[in-house]
Amino acid sequence: MFFQCVMLAVMFIGAPHLTGVGPAKGGDTDPAIKDFNDRVQRYWDLHKKVEDAAPPIDKKKEPDPAAIVAHERATADGIRAARMNAAEGDIFTPAVQKILVATIKQELSSGRGATARAMILGEGNPKNPESPARVDLVVNAKYPPNAPLSTVPPSVLLSLPKLPQGLEYRFVGRHLILYDSKANLIVDILRNAVR
Amino acid sequence: MRKTNAIAVITILAAAMFSYAQNIQLPMKKDSVKFAVIGDNGTGDKPEYQIADKLTAAHQKFPFDFVVMMGDNLYGGEAPKDFGQKFEKPYKALLDIGVKFHATLGNHDDPSRQISYEKFNMGGKHYYSFKPKDGVRFFSLDSNYMDKKQLDWLENELKASGSEWKLVYFHHPIYSSGEKHGSNLELRTTLEPLFVKYGVDVVLTGHEHFYERIKPQKGINYFIVGSSGQLREGNIGKTELTAKGFDRDNAFMLAEISGDDMFFQVISRKGETVDSGNIKRAEKIKKITTSR
Repeated sequence: MFFQCVMLAVMFIGAPHLTGVGPAKGGDTDPAIKDFNDRVQRYWDLHKKVEDAAPPIDKKKEPDPAAIVAHERATADGIRAARMNAAEGDIFTPAVQKILVATIKQELSSGRGATARAMILGEGNPKNPESPARVDLVVNAKYPPNAPLSTVPPSVLLSLPKLPQGLEYRFVGRHLILYDSKANLIVDILRNAVR
Repeated sequence: MRKTNAIAVITILAAAMFSYAQNIQLPMKKDSVKFAVIGDNGTGDKPEYQIADKLTAAHQKFPFDFVVMMGDNLYGGEAPKDFGQKFEKPYKALLDIGVKFHATLGNHDDPSRQISYEKFNMGGKHYYSFKPKDGVRFFSLDSNYMDKKQLDWLENELKASGSEWKLVYFHHPIYSSGEKHGSNLELRTTLEPLFVKYGVDVVLTGHEHFYERIKPQKGINYFIVGSSGQLREGNIGKTELTAKGFDRDNAFMLAEISGDDMFFQVISRKGETVDSGNIKRAEKIKKITTSR
């Protein structure tokens, strides 16, 4: 029943509302960026519909961590069901990949590029040997809760297109992922984004 | 029942003994803001529990109202049982008497689970501020993901907070003598101009698994409290930054704000005071005024 509601919700998603998305450094006239923003927004609209249909966390009672985890899992399951055929590149399209890779390369070649690179590939990166868990790079896969999340340098974040709150750029090794932090889900993957 | 009573008596006696051993050097003024600082604590291992016991004992002499957590609140798994083992159990005595914990996110923390967890008092947000009393405001940042939205929020909050004591806390230190990580220059470039512009008084961080007080930088006092569970022994390198460092044992901090003074005391797992002092806010204002 829950998944039927989700599917219905997906069918009725209207035009994207472009609040909270857009490039940080201009470029919003670039068709590839505009298309990326639209795809991001469509995903986020779906997320919101699915999350609203998931068992709520009772804000009046002190939430048990189990209720938080159950809510997160139901949201993730609903999104997976709605995006059953999602594949790499659905949001990070080839056209936008070129732009994002070039943007990251430019930031990592700047004056503080070495620090930013170290920040990306350092301790918080789940590919680091000290990481307690490995992350399987698969669209719709759960991001392991015991794996660290990479720290993203502000210089890189400020140059990439903005995302809605709850959807984040993170790195796994040199690969950039689009990470749904509320559902703990890998939404898309841009391989070898750090070159 | 008899066994439970015996355990309770032993716990109270042990806390009283610890309390006796810990010589609190803070002024404990009436109407002051009293708080504690822990960081990188969420291992669920023995040192975390030992520090928690010391913190509980300290509370008997120095009744702080809240604890700020510097991130890496839960290492490893974050299943419901981990919230119990790595947080609720070690700090049970404090939670039971209503001491509030205000967490910030570290690189080992799962934001989706922790921001909604009521006992971390994050209000479902990655970054937030709170005012324990008129004239004092704390700002918790997510240093893992410093995007434009967060920077805009911080600037607006700092601007709106006027002449209050401004204490900012987040996980990654922008000044550090740690050999493992060191100063995070990326974050420093982004955050320090805002701290200076809006007169931030104190910055508290973790990430490095030791305690370090940094010599004031541009009029701002920086502390690293990252050894309340984890410890990286002997990791403080020789730099010009250190005012005081302690990397031989786990530690936590107690602090008290009264008028233009912030008093602090850092206590090790053995109950030794490893650093203490007083920051005068008025001097800082004067210094800034003079330099302009």
